Amino acid sequence: MTTGPLNDFSESERKAQEERLRAVWANPPGWRYWTSVNNSQIGLWYAAAAFGFMLFAGVLALLVRVQLAVPENDFLSAELFNQAFTLHGTVMMFLFAVPIFEAVAIFLLPPMLGARELPFPRLSAFGFWSFLLGGVFVCGSIFFNAAPNAGWFMYPPLATDKQYSGIGADIWLLGLSFIEVASIAAAVELIVGIMKCRAPGMRINMMPLFAWYLLIVAGMILFAFPPLIAGDILFEMERMFDWPFFDAGRGGDPLLWQHLFWIFGHPEVYIIFLPAIALMAMIVPTFSQRPIVGYSWIVLAAVGTGFLSFGLWVHHMFTTGLPQISLAFFSAASEAVAIPTGVQIFVFIATMLAGRVIFSVPMLFGTGGLAIFIIGGLTGVMVALVPIDWQAHDTYFVVAHLHYVIIGGMLFPIVAGIYYYFPLVNARQLSERLGRIAFWLMFAGFNIGFFPMHFSGLRGMPRRVFTYPADAGWDWLNLTSTIGAFIFASGVLVIVFDVLRPKHRQPRTKVNPWNAGTLEWLAQPEENWGVRSIPVITSRYPLWDQPHLAREIAEGRYYLPDAKEGYRETIVTSVLDAKPIQCLRVGGTSYLTILTAVFLGGVFVALTFHWWLLCALFGIATFVTIIAWLWNGTAEIPQQPQKDVGLELSLPLYASGPASVGWWAMFITMVGDGTAFGSLVFGYFFYWTIHEDFTAGIAGPGLFWPMAGLALFVASWLGMLAARSVNAGGRTVFACMLIVASMILTACGSVAALLGPWQFEMDPQSHVYPAIVWILAIWLAVHGAVGIVMQAYCLARFLAGRMTATYDTELHNVVLYWHFLAVTALTTLVVIGVFPELR
Amino acid sequence: MKDDRATRPATYARFAPPGLICLLASGCRGAQSALDPAGEEAEAIHSLLVVTAVGGGIIWLLVVGLILYARRRDRPVLDVERAQKLISWGGVAFPTVILLALLSYALWKMPVARPWFDPGDAPMTVEVTGEQFWWRVRYLDQEGEPVFETANEILMPIGERVRFLLKAHDVIHSFWIPALGGKMDMIPGRTNVFSLKATRTGIYRGPCAEFCGSSHALMNLTARVLEPQAFREWFESRSAPAGRPAETEGQAAFLSHGCGACHSVRGTQARGQVGPDLTAFAKRERLGAGVAANTQENRVRFIRNPDGLKPGVRMPAFSMVPDSELEAIATYLGGLE
Amino acid sequence: MRLIPREVETLWTLFTAPVVWALHFLACYVTVAIYCAKSGEVGGYDTIRWILAVITLLALAMIVVSAALAFRQWGFGTDDPPHDDPTRHDRTLFQGFATLLLSGLSFIAVVFAAAPLIFIAGCFS
Repeated sequence: MTTGPLNDFSESERKAQEERLRAVWANPPGWRYWTSVNNSQIGLWYAAAAFGFMLFAGVLALLVRVQLAVPENDFLSAELFNQAFTLHGTVMMFLFAVPIFEAVAIFLLPPMLGARELPFPRLSAFGFWSFLLGGVFVCGSIFFNAAPNAGWFMYPPLATDKQYSGIGADIWLLGLSFIEVASIAAAVELIVGIMKCRAPGMRINMMPLFAWYLLIVAGMILFAFPPLIAGDILFEMERMFDWPFFDAGRGGDPLLWQHLFWIFGHPEVYIIFLPAIALMAMIVPTFSQRPIVGYSWIVLAAVGTGFLSFGLWVHHMFTTGLPQISLAFFSAASEAVAIPTGVQIFVFIATMLAGRVIFSVPMLFGTGGLAIFIIGGLTGVMVALVPIDWQAHDTYFVVAHLHYVIIGGMLFPIVAGIYYYFPLVNARQLSERLGRIAFWLMFAGFNIGFFPMHFSGLRGMPRRVFTYPADAGWDWLNLTSTIGAFIFASGVLVIVFDVLRPKHRQPRTKVNPWNAGTLEWLAQPEENWGVRSIPVITSRYPLWDQPHLAREIAEGRYYLPDAKEGYRETIVTSVLDAKPIQCLRVGGTSYLTILTAVFLGGVFVALTFHWWLLCALFGIATFVTIIAWLWNGTAEIPQQPQKDVGLELSLPLYASGPASVGWWAMFITMVGDGTAFGSLVFGYFFYWTIHEDFTAGIAGPGLFWPMAGLALFVASWLGMLAARSVNAGGRTVFACMLIVASMILTACGSVAALLGPWQFEMDPQSHVYPAIVWILAIWLAVHGAVGIVMQAYCLARFLAGRMTATYDTELHNVVLYWHFLAVTALTTLVVIGVFPELR
Repeated sequence: MKDDRATRPATYARFAPPGLICLLASGCRGAQSALDPAGEEAEAIHSLLVVTAVGGGIIWLLVVGLILYARRRDRPVLDVERAQKLISWGGVAFPTVILLALLSYALWKMPVARPWFDPGDAPMTVEVTGEQFWWRVRYLDQEGEPVFETANEILMPIGERVRFLLKAHDVIHSFWIPALGGKMDMIPGRTNVFSLKATRTGIYRGPCAEFCGSSHALMNLTARVLEPQAFREWFESRSAPAGRPAETEGQAAFLSHGCGACHSVRGTQARGQVGPDLTAFAKRERLGAGVAANTQENRVRFIRNPDGLKPGVRMPAFSMVPDSELEAIATYLGGLE
Repeated sequence: MRLIPREVETLWTLFTAPVVWALHFLACYVTVAIYCAKSGEVGGYDTIRWILAVITLLALAMIVVSAALAFRQWGFGTDDPPHDDPTRHDRTLFQGFATLLLSGLSFIAVVFAAAPLIFIAGCFS
């Protein structure tokens, strides 16, 4: 990439620039500190909260282990035990494993990519607060003896039995839906950040491997979480309104939940595993003192794992009585996924062998984790074989397997990451000695604790038992496990102590203490701006290969060395070759993100307790705050169209359509939304396959109203297309009229979609067929309503002069929404209207 | 368990070395152990387990050995080309070949570990229904009509394939007798079918393997594998018209307190269908689906307050029944041969 | 106009082969699931096997095409990795090589997914 000559500023100029940058990026003082949206703050808070939840869930695990230490123990009651293990699994998965990767990514990605910020900092903040509130809500329930108690997988009909599960299941469903929203927000943020916000010159073959992994993981979230959200919707409809989606007596089927849950649940394992391995992909080259061997192989492994992980879900259902041939397909894919995993491990080994390895604490945790993880991987290959799973399924063998995978493949690398990256947090290193002690306690404790479980499982000990008979022969296996668990926990405590102990007397480490090669090591903990100036990258390991880079960046000799206009700015680059294309102004400090999260949390809490009025009020408040957030914080028309970013380059300040980050965010969100919708359609056809006559003789929504609705939706879509091109031609008033017409058509289309089932008086409580038709129709109508709000927003922007013929990014995004809406309408109405007629 | 080692099939001896490892580590025996197979299906799976465990162990040693070697300071540095080769051979070629071979082996074993057969080929069908937290067991005739019902105990003949129809009454349960074969879920609204063929007589235990509520841990069944002759005798005795048990004080108390509304005892007016059938209750080793040994004291405790022994159980407490009558009922149950 | 353009400037080509794997996997699973749920006689099962065998061959052929295109993008293997020069050329080579590797993995995964059709001879559970 050819660039202009580097900037050259005098000492005093630099000082003034730094002052301005510092002021723009500063955290607010006092209590308003918590309204900060800066990625380093959010990342740290996120990580701290996730670790807090981890410790909480760890205590629950210890309680479980105490109860099982001896046979016929009565330390915990059956009820409390069931709450404890359910919450342990739920919290570890949803409140630690997934969020910790979001935390690390938010903290590390901008400096690693050479960006000042991720493109939507307020979205990150909103995600964090949602996560924190949802997490406290879910965890707090156990103190009121109201925690979910049906297992982290929540299988109906046990979990739909209100007598058994009380409000625990609602807390689980609603609390976690809230957290899933946060995860999808993070996915949007990360994909756009990685694709569009890399430093100039950081082509995709230059990207740090961490970013490759995170890109794949964020993509996986988009396809993995929405099926669970769809499942949650069906589940909550059954619990609240008695729609019989999982009630076999009325045509429902408990297995549908298992499908939806595991379509989420298995990719989830890789969603938490890949980011941890991504940390390894940063640590191993640093301590082998050479670039990674097999960069492309890692990309292969990450992409391959990402795809294959979606073909594994039925291996959690090998004992449900599905045809053996169906099981065999999933067994085959489960074996195949071991190949990319093996590639990753061998890439690390090859890199170590091709370098000189410095065996520091991060490497100790990293390779120790690998040794554990490989055992988990090998037992994974075993249980992926259907016959072995018939014995091992739902026994302690699987408990051992999954902990070997997750603790070896995720927790150990994360701890390695903490020891590695801690200097970026407060410019001090953690203690080498304490680290080694912690490692050996954790490594030994883990194996003492979990290895015997392989045997207790194969000797017949099922999972989730609160007690076991003395004569079963599992007593000393369990006692050993309990002892090991406590040794392991003591190792974790050592780490907690090492992180929390005061370090102000310790000398500051030098910049880049491990002599790593990637950009994040230039970040200074006390500066909020990320990078002092945004560099031009010409290597995978710029700190190794670009000799003066650190000094030049610090002297502001690259892009955006200043913040003259007082905005937080970063550079948007092209996807493949990272050519600078826009100077992006990102959102700054705002209390709106917290308010939105609090109000949305209020909606979910009110739903749990069926406080309908309060729920409506919170809903309105959420709506208002979101609109306020968008209105003042997004798509502002800049005072001048271009800005000089340094190095003789001038970049536009505004972009619309595919060139803008907002368009990408909408696209990504709608892909996730479409996946949730697809899962509901899958449910419709699932009921079709399991029944001779899935309508059960109930008259359907007919053909007329669905087709009328379809025509109206298509017309409204055409209206929006026309509005966009008319507006681009400068005829704004005409565009507004088209939008109004499209609004009316959409409203009519939504009503028509609902009129079908309404006219036939389909009773959703009577049978699953009317229920699934209603849910599809309602899904479409709700999306129509959201579309109308968007159209109204566009009209208001035009009227307020915040959108014009050239500055039309909102309109582009809304049209994009309409593409998806049109596909949703087409699918829904053809499925509910035409399909029953075809049979 | 009083395991009859004499009837252990010779095939087991083939797996002596892993068996040894197992004994060193923990011992594999047990009435509920997949490592101590007593049925054709369990044996097929056991051999697969052994092959994969041994193979996995070797692979683990190799890979961890490589990692330990890599951290040595005095080793030569590998050049990049060879390192690349290590990835393609160690990370791709080797796993691909091994995994494909393993997958084929396991797919080939699948129909052995869970054979498919014509219903006509299996002379005996047992319908087992999972209920919170016990097992309803019905022996069916060729037409699929129940011949008799029992609970929490399955008797089966050695060397004959027995077909199981698995159902669930309330929530999902999972039917598993580790020593005989793999597990199969019991799902409301579905009937799962599979079969088992025992190869060794003895008493085996089976837990519920899918979390089913408060007392999931206390839902166990007993499988007795008998010689065919002994099995026939038992089957005949249960299917013959019932004689009337002697009318005792205990029976009167049993009936007067309404036990018969939920429980059946063949040959009496107790014909309830809600709870477990109690015919020949004295023959059962344990009560309450494995909660406790079937002793007089435990029977009294259970009837007085079932929830105390078995949290969340559906049976109400009978603490209002005077002690003398409780004892009488317990004696009565203990005498039902 | 060429049927297959000489240069494709997009990241999406990277995912071609895994997408083919996904479609093949879905085709196998959905066909069998519907067949077994809706009819289930062992008689027609061989037809299903043949259909899926053909689909498998088609999928493998598509992956081979993707691999061939990737091989071309990789400059027919004339340049070895790591492809880390800051040039558009090296970026293209990287894409080609990574796509080639993914095609290989997808090929293997499709073969794996087809293996059950050889061993399992009916809809029984």
